[in-house]
Amino acid sequence: MTEAYIFDAIRTPRGRGKSNGALYEVKPIDLLTTLLQEIKNRNQLPTQEVDDVVIGCVNTIDDQGFNIAKAALIHARWPHHVSGMTLNRYCASGLEAVNMAAAKIRSGWGELCIAGGLESLSRIPLGSDGGPLIFDPEIISANDYVPQGISADLIATIENISREEVDRYALQSHQRAAAASLSENGHAHSSLIPIFDRNHMLLLDRDEHLRPDTTLEALEALPPAFAKLGETGFDEMTLHKYPMVEKINHIHTAGNSSGIVDGAALLLVGSKQKGKALGLKSRARIIAAATVSVEHTIMLTGAGPAAKKALALAKMDKKDIQLWECNEAFAAVVLQFQRQLDVSDDILNVNGGAISLGHPLGASGAMQLGILLNEMERRNLSTGLVTFCVGGGMGVATIIERT
Amino acid sequence: MIHYKKDIHNIVTLTLDMSGRATNIINHEIWEAFVPVIEHLKQEKKRGILKGVILTSEKKTFLSGGDLDYLYQANDPNEIFTIAERMKRFLRDLEKPGVAVVAALSGSAIGAGFEVALACHHRIAVDDPKIGLGLPEVEIGLIPGGGGIIRLMWLLGIEKAFPILTSGHRYTPREALRAGIIDDLAPSHKAMLEQAKDWLLQNKESRRPWDRPNCKIPGGSAKDLKMGQRIREMAATLASKTHNNFPAPQAILNVLSEGSKVDFDTAERIESRYYTELVCSSECKNMIKAFWFDANYIKFGKNRPKGYGKFRPQKIGIIGAGLMGSGIAFACLQNGLEVVLKDVSKLIAERARDYVRSKLNTLIQIGEIQPKHADHILQRIKTTDVAHEFETCDLVIEAVFENAMLKQKVTKESEGYMDEYSIFATNTLSIPITKLAEASTRPENYVGLHFFHPADEVPLVEIVKGEKTSEETIARAFDFVKAIQKTPIVVKDVWGFYAARVQNTYILEGITMLLEGYPPALIENLGKQAGMPKGALALADDLGLNMVLDYENQAAAHYGSKYVQHPAVGVLLKMTEELHRPGRNKKAGFYEYLENGSRVLWSELKEHYPLVPTEYDYQELTDRFLFAQVLEAIWCMQEGVIQSVPAANLGSIYGWGFPSFKGGVIQYINDYGLEAFLDRCRVLQEKFGRRFKASKMLSELVAEPELIGDKANSW
Repeated sequence: MTEAYIFDAIRTPRGRGKSNGALYEVKPIDLLTTLLQEIKNRNQLPTQEVDDVVIGCVNTIDDQGFNIAKAALIHARWPHHVSGMTLNRYCASGLEAVNMAAAKIRSGWGELCIAGGLESLSRIPLGSDGGPLIFDPEIISANDYVPQGISADLIATIENISREEVDRYALQSHQRAAAASLSENGHAHSSLIPIFDRNHMLLLDRDEHLRPDTTLEALEALPPAFAKLGETGFDEMTLHKYPMVEKINHIHTAGNSSGIVDGAALLLVGSKQKGKALGLKSRARIIAAATVSVEHTIMLTGAGPAAKKALALAKMDKKDIQLWECNEAFAAVVLQFQRQLDVSDDILNVNGGAISLGHPLGASGAMQLGILLNEMERRNLSTGLVTFCVGGGMGVATIIERT
Repeated sequence: MIHYKKDIHNIVTLTLDMSGRATNIINHEIWEAFVPVIEHLKQEKKRGILKGVILTSEKKTFLSGGDLDYLYQANDPNEIFTIAERMKRFLRDLEKPGVAVVAALSGSAIGAGFEVALACHHRIAVDDPKIGLGLPEVEIGLIPGGGGIIRLMWLLGIEKAFPILTSGHRYTPREALRAGIIDDLAPSHKAMLEQAKDWLLQNKESRRPWDRPNCKIPGGSAKDLKMGQRIREMAATLASKTHNNFPAPQAILNVLSEGSKVDFDTAERIESRYYTELVCSSECKNMIKAFWFDANYIKFGKNRPKGYGKFRPQKIGIIGAGLMGSGIAFACLQNGLEVVLKDVSKLIAERARDYVRSKLNTLIQIGEIQPKHADHILQRIKTTDVAHEFETCDLVIEAVFENAMLKQKVTKESEGYMDEYSIFATNTLSIPITKLAEASTRPENYVGLHFFHPADEVPLVEIVKGEKTSEETIARAFDFVKAIQKTPIVVKDVWGFYAARVQNTYILEGITMLLEGYPPALIENLGKQAGMPKGALALADDLGLNMVLDYENQAAAHYGSKYVQHPAVGVLLKMTEELHRPGRNKKAGFYEYLENGSRVLWSELKEHYPLVPTEYDYQELTDRFLFAQVLEAIWCMQEGVIQSVPAANLGSIYGWGFPSFKGGVIQYINDYGLEAFLDRCRVLQEKFGRRFKASKMLSELVAEPELIGDKANSW
């Protein structure tokens, strides 16, 4: 069978996802066109050879609506016969885009694809596109569908994870991210593409959400973010599914949950043959990818099962994985995943993650995969796995091996 | 049927007057009568000789609601939908003659009757607190089917319409004005018609908001992000309260959400579809059974001893100014009775007046009564520390501490001053009436009147018949309870009477689950999710574990050698005697009580009752909770503790909060299906013992399952 390879992975910096963020004044499409131009230039890519462009994006409405992938291709002056699409696998959209591109390559129905993701949360906040799971009272009530923060606190309650543990984890995330970003070689930067305005004046060239000076005291002082929301009735709704729980312990705060940011990422994925023909150097092979779904009220426990399924598809053992990324949607998600798979702290989220650097929903999966690959190269490791918990109870995982 | 009158301003007054009826009701007759009238109005409008229309009635009821007898048996979705759509077409015609229509309400308009008023451009009501207005359909598991949801949404917005539609509240005209469901008040019928004319003469708009271009729903539609978020929260709040057991309020929210996104007529059709679904639902049938058929059975005195003239109590004596005595006093005062309240000192007795005053203040604040009215009520209560004030009382109720000696003492003391005809009642919850009556010089006039806390709110009173209580006394007690607008159920003088006895089985079942090693939180949550107001362990704490045990001990004494000890007894003994945790009173029971007044499950419970099962069969646990109660209620019927199926059903709903969407504790069997119920009993009996054995009497009904209600009535 044809194998799928990663030739390149680039990303934008992550801007604060609010009106005070550096990317707020940038149209979401510009993030994508910047990366499209960059990936073309740095690989001297004959873009007419690209079969498809798959872009993960959660809120495909307004500035991100009406298939922004094709819009960006048109605006980036790519040849008209390159097709583009957006897909929504919630938080793992970017990773799913890569997996879908890989599936096209492996099936032989494509030879070269661009895959990635985009989300401007400052422009288009989560929930902007409505949808039955968040706005239809019949669907919400009948299925006990609760906001993710409530699910994260439910996980913590059931798993007996304390406020101190999640705050400590958050602190570690910030420390690791700071070390990666501020160290002399600045290894986290190696595929970061700065964003300029239309006059080529710099807007942002580093991840903006990071707080290197964060302390445990500062984290501990933050109020629970979802207690009030829970009181409106969502806490009680979770008990319909988990009646053995007396009370939801609200431990997640703005400090130990993923940050709201803007950003985009792209990967160049193709067959070995195509890469050879175009003079592209393969960096890693995509060994396996998996999607799962678990019960939707607790929602965020899919990362472990997704990883296990991917390992089984790859006929690998968890011990075969040398470096892990588990998306830091909420601290308890990672801690629960870590307990479940017994992954050592030393090889999990070694450069921080969404808690310290932010979570640009649709882009995150592609971004984390690129960051994982960079780190594998830096450490000279051969195998790595990225896994995401996903809305609706889903989970997505991808395993790569350096070539 | 419809009287037509036109004045010099070309304003037509239509007066509803259904012949041969005390009230005007919504039915085919009235729709058909309106067809030519509306056609005539349209012609007049064309010819320019119509300025406006006033729709009114001279009866006590403007227009009352739907036909519950029909709705109870209706099961054909096509038919129900068609009827709902016909009603809607009629109302659309009514609001579109080309001129404005004013609903002039000098009588009550409830349910479909109020929907007619909503289909008018302007609503004026006479300022009379006896008039009831609103859309209380949720009370019987139903929603408005005549466009009431959609019109209210367009008039007030989603956020304001939702609580009005889901409260089940019947509004006085003043409250209705404040809520925004009517537009104006009038001091009299005549003034109302004048105001209606004035409004019509000034009004230039003949289209309703939803028929005008570019008119928007106040506060926005569910398409708006902010409103979407609010609806999400409303859904969460609702689901957390109802545990998804009540489809009607959920349907209202769904209709508001969906209906706000489409045009008016489509929204109305969506409403009709939900309405149809609900009419066919078991919840709706169960609630109509309980709150209409069962309630009427009791209201019309089927359980009242026959042959005694109606007792019209005017002055009630109450002993004890505690919460119970004060609550009873308030219930009496609200219904026009005079109250003499006695306690050991006048100072203490005054606490009852304070209680009444604070309750009245709340009512004034929400606009239900006026300060002047409150003053009148307060003038009817007299406090005292001497028993001779009871001389002129028709009935004296003692609500002193639960102590037989004390109760007997106040009985003797009061009876000395009461005339031969008047009744003495005790509000005991656990002491046998027959025993207390031993102190009475007239035991035939001595009866138990068991109110439930809070006495002014819970709409049920158990009338307990002692060994010597006369039939006439029961009849009079019955009339008294009805006079204070509560539901009387006549019960036998056994432990816990009816309500507490059956409720106790729920508590004992929960405690048994604890013993079996289920997580306490699971026990509490599943109880509430089954529709019970509180978890079994919380309820045990509130009643006091000794009381729970005491009831069971009385059951043991009653059944003697036939008694099989309940597994929960051991837990109760251990909790009370060994662990000294008797309940809320001592701030230590199955729960621990925090400084801030809240409570959490006692953290050490799991040490004494370690978790055993690793998987939970939620359905089985839920069934155990409900079946335990249902079977005990059947025993109560068999032993004559309760006299009828309606009394058992309403007693269970009002007395201890058995799920109303199941129609009460006996209707539960009909809802479950008798055969299926008996099968399930056999399974539960096999697993958990004889307490789940269906009584013989229940089994006998298998032969005629459809008769369970009727046959039981004749017991």
